[in-house]
This record gives sequence, C-alpha cells and structure tokens, in this order.
Amino acid sequence: MSTDARVMDVEISEDRHSEAMMINMGPQHPSTHGVLRLVLELDGEEVVRAQPVIGYLHRGKEKIGETLSWHQFIPYTDRLDYLAPLANNVAYAVAVEKLMGIDAPPRAQAIRVICAELARISAHLLGLGAYAMDLGAMTVFLWTFREREAIYTLVERICGARFTTSYTRIGGVERDLPDDFFTKCAQFVKEFPGRVDEYEGLLTTNKIWIERTQDIGIITKEQALQFALTGPNLRGSGIDYDCRKAHPYIGYEQYDFDVPVGSVGDCFDRYLVRVAEMRESARILEQVLDTIPDGPYLNRDGDEELKSVLPDKTKVLTNMESLIHQFMVATESINAPTGEVYFGAENPKGELGFFLRSKGELHADRLRIRAPSFCALQVIEEVLPGHLIADVMAILGSIDFVMGECDR
Amino acid sequence: MSILTDHGDAAAAAALHQAFPDTTMEPREWRGDVTLEVDPATELDVLTHAKEQLGFELLIDRLGADRGEEASPRFEVITILYNLTTHKRLHVLTALPAANPELPTAIGVFRGANWFEREIWDMYGVKFPGHPNLERILMMDGFPDFPLRKEYPTEGAGEFAAPRRALGGTVDGTDGKVAVNHDPSPRPERQGDDA
Repeated sequence: MSTDARVMDVEISEDRHSEAMMINMGPQHPSTHGVLRLVLELDGEEVVRAQPVIGYLHRGKEKIGETLSWHQFIPYTDRLDYLAPLANNVAYAVAVEKLMGIDAPPRAQAIRVICAELARISAHLLGLGAYAMDLGAMTVFLWTFREREAIYTLVERICGARFTTSYTRIGGVERDLPDDFFTKCAQFVKEFPGRVDEYEGLLTTNKIWIERTQDIGIITKEQALQFALTGPNLRGSGIDYDCRKAHPYIGYEQYDFDVPVGSVGDCFDRYLVRVAEMRESARILEQVLDTIPDGPYLNRDGDEELKSVLPDKTKVLTNMESLIHQFMVATESINAPTGEVYFGAENPKGELGFFLRSKGELHADRLRIRAPSFCALQVIEEVLPGHLIADVMAILGSIDFVMGECDR
Repeated sequence: MSILTDHGDAAAAAALHQAFPDTTMEPREWRGDVTLEVDPATELDVLTHAKEQLGFELLIDRLGADRGEEASPRFEVITILYNLTTHKRLHVLTALPAANPELPTAIGVFRGANWFEREIWDMYGVKFPGHPNLERILMMDGFPDFPLRKEYPTEGAGEFAAPRRALGGTVDGTDGKVAVNHDPSPRPERQGDDA
C-alpha cells in the first residue's frame, strides 16, 4: 500500500466528538507539585473544562497569626513557599518593620538581599527541574539539584538549617554571616552562569522542548492583569512589573540588574524569563558580595537599645538589663503601634504580600498573606480549556506554583 | 523612615473622594499606605472608576477582616489596587454589618476577584451577590463555621471531635452546627492486675 493510498483510505468524520469524560488529576499526582486537585472534563484528549480544587494543605496560618507574637510567626513563614523560606522570612520581617516604623541596618539589608536572591535561584532551579521532568527531560532535574545542593550548603552556613531557616528577626537578622561564607558564595556565583548555560544547552534550542512549550498555555496581558498574576508569570506575559524595581526595598536600588520580560505569554516565555532571572540574581549577588558594608546586623539604634528588638547575645550573657530585655522580648513579645500596613516583596513565585493590622497588642489583629501561587492557580481555569491533556503538565510546570503558599 | 513609605497614592484617593463625595470618607494615610473607606453600595463604582479613569489595573488583593464581635459595623472587605504606571498603591475599604454581611461581587471589574471573594466567604461568611460560584475554597465542603471570625477558637470548635469523644465528650447537632460539650470527666480507673 502506497503512502498516498493510505491517506486516501482514512475518512475523517466531522462529528468526532466523544462523550465528555471527567478526570480527577490529583490531589496526589506527581506533576501537580503538591496537593492540587484538578477536575478535568475531557473530550477525547482535549480539555473542555478545568476546575482547580485547592485547600488540601490549609493549615490556618492567618488564624494562627492572630494568636502568636510578632517574632513567633517567623517560623510559620518558612512553610509558606517552602522552596524559598529565606525569601519569605525577609518579606515578613520587612512588613513588621514597616508596621513598627523601624529599619534594618545596612549590613542586615545586604544580608537580606543575599538571602532573597539565593532563595530565588534555588526556587527557580526546582521549578525549572520539575517543569522539565514533567515533560520528560530527566537530566535537567538532576543537574538543577546539583546547584540546589550547593545553595543549601550556603544556606546551612548562613543559619544552620537547610530548609526551615527562620533567619530574620524584626530589625535585622538572627546572626552575622560567617567569615568563610563570602568566598564560598563568590565561588558559587562565579560558577553559576556556566551552569545556567548547561541547562539552556539542554532546553532552549531543543526541538522537543520548543514543540512542547511554544504557543502552549498562552496567558494574555489582559488575563494576567485580570487575575492578579505577579512575578515571572506576569512578566512572561510582557508586563514589566517587579517590586524590586518598582518600589525598591532592602536596598535593591543600589544594585544594577535587568528585569526580563516575555512577549507572547506562553510556556516557553515563562521558561525564558525564569532562566534570565537566575542570571540576574547571580549578578545581584556578585554586587552585594563586593559592596556589603560592615556594621551591626540588627538594629539596636546606637547605645539606647530599641526595646522592640532582641539585644546582643554577648550582652545578654554579661549584662543583667540585657538579659531582662531579651527575656521580655522572647517571652512577652513586642508591642506594635495601632495601625495597618501592607508590604509586598518580590518572591520567586511573585509578590508575597503581608497585610498586618495591629491594635497595639502583642500580636496581630489580622495577618493576611497575599500568596502569589493562589492568584496564579486561578488563571488555569481559563487557560487550560482547548489544550491537550499532555499540555496540562507543561502549563502547570510553567506556572510554577507551590501549594504550601497557595493554601496557607 | 525609608523609601518604603511612599507607596500610597494620596492624590488618587483624593480624586476618588471628590468623584464620590457623599459615599466615601476622607482618605487616611498611615506609614505611606492610603486607605479610602467607601459605602458598600458604591464600592463597585469606586473600583471601576479607579481602574478605568485612574489606571489601577492590577488587583493585588481582596481580603476580609473582622473588627470584633462588639464592633458595628463588624466586617471589612479591603481591596488593594496597584497602578503599574505610577507604581502607587491604593486600599479601598468597605465596612459591613455583623448581621448578613453582603457586598456586590467585583468579578465584573477584575475576574481575579473570584477566588479572593470565595475565600472571604469561606473565612468570614460575607456574601457576594452575583458571584457565580460562591463556595468554600480552603476549608472543606460542608464545614459548619467561618474560622477567621473572632469568636471562632484557634484550636477549632470541635468539628474533628473524634479523639475528644473518646475521652468522654459528647457531640450535639444543633442548627446544622456541630458543637462539642467536652466534659473532662476522669478516665475510667485502670482496673486489674497491675499490682
């Protein structure tokens, strides 16, 4: 049978729609990256309707936040976006400082930038690795974990823990960076762009990767704005908004970096934006390591110690007043003024915002967490229909959400 | 303080107050955040005006709050808008009564309000007439209470009472709510042969 004959034999009927089939994808499914459940209505292999169901990881953090003191909530922020705990710590600490009206000293700010950028690289590495693995490229995942290991070794040097860092304090950070950190971090920053080249060599010009991601899962500008997307997902759709540039905090205005922006808003654009962001983060790290100032790592406001900030540990061990002060801050908590503030930080997944309301008590009256993954997941209800079921994995991977933050 | 304090758009809040003089209050500013309090009936108009005339294109957040059981009005819905050109933020606050709190849905202005409003319903019991799918989002279906209301205990109201029941508590069903009368009666004395 010749090729032509075979083509002739097939008669494609116009009416090939089958009966709709409902499929539950998740809550336990490897490519839903956590406990997301998708109720998919399928026509053959095509998605007709998709409904994300969330809440499987809800732990009531906002309620818990209304009973804990300002410092006690820091460990809970580790478990929001558990791929970037340091960045969450920073966002929360800056929000409380805005409420209290205090500032972290310059060295603490620089340390926080290091934390936030290391967290960004590590979160994007996992996002990229898992995204590629969902589409069948196993190697990328293993390679990104090599660099993540290096980052976690650095994080271990910063605070002693690898994942549950709880490193920031109101007014600064918990301890100073160790001396050997700088050379180790500089070594990592020097090697890292070459590693990104390796990932790009595997993916960016890879025919299979391009076929699987280009023009798939297009989020238009209009959709991105309507659904309050932030971070790489918003920038992938061509909107130039980055909190670090738009309203710099913790000293981001001192560093020279670019904000990568996509054009089409498809899965491939979001991939490119994340890869470019990792390079920019390495650039920022390089500058911070060069320019980090000396000085205190916790705001103590000269000799007259701020009563809302933990005292110096060496003083606690030698000075009665400092001991009492430490005891008061740790056991009774610190008073915040009456008022409400919102602070949004540029986290790996998007804008992580804290809305804090205080009635002048030792704890928050309302602690709202504005989770970027929550907003990002909402858009897939509109994006998925019309795609094949195999593209669902590509789209989920490209949106790069984390359920710990979405469900709170 | 530092650069953090100039995010709020006082000019836009004043412009909105001028456009809706009878139904909005004087904008207030604290730590650089500008809040405009509006009547529930005109909230939608204010949001539309802010989006279409003043360029607040990005809905950052829509959240609920509870002022406490005695407060009147009791509930709040706060909408945080962002202007991508001027990089300024604006908070629009609406206060709602304790009994039957309702606010027209903002999905017509920002489609992304959908899940935010479902969460406010889920946590505070504020209804959004016109919302296409006002169901629980973070709590499970059939959960009987609104957990972020102030009277709801942090440790739970006993919806998951099985372990307590084993200790001698009882579970009542009244008004479709499950309440636990936890009677801390002593455990039965161990009997027998440990001597």
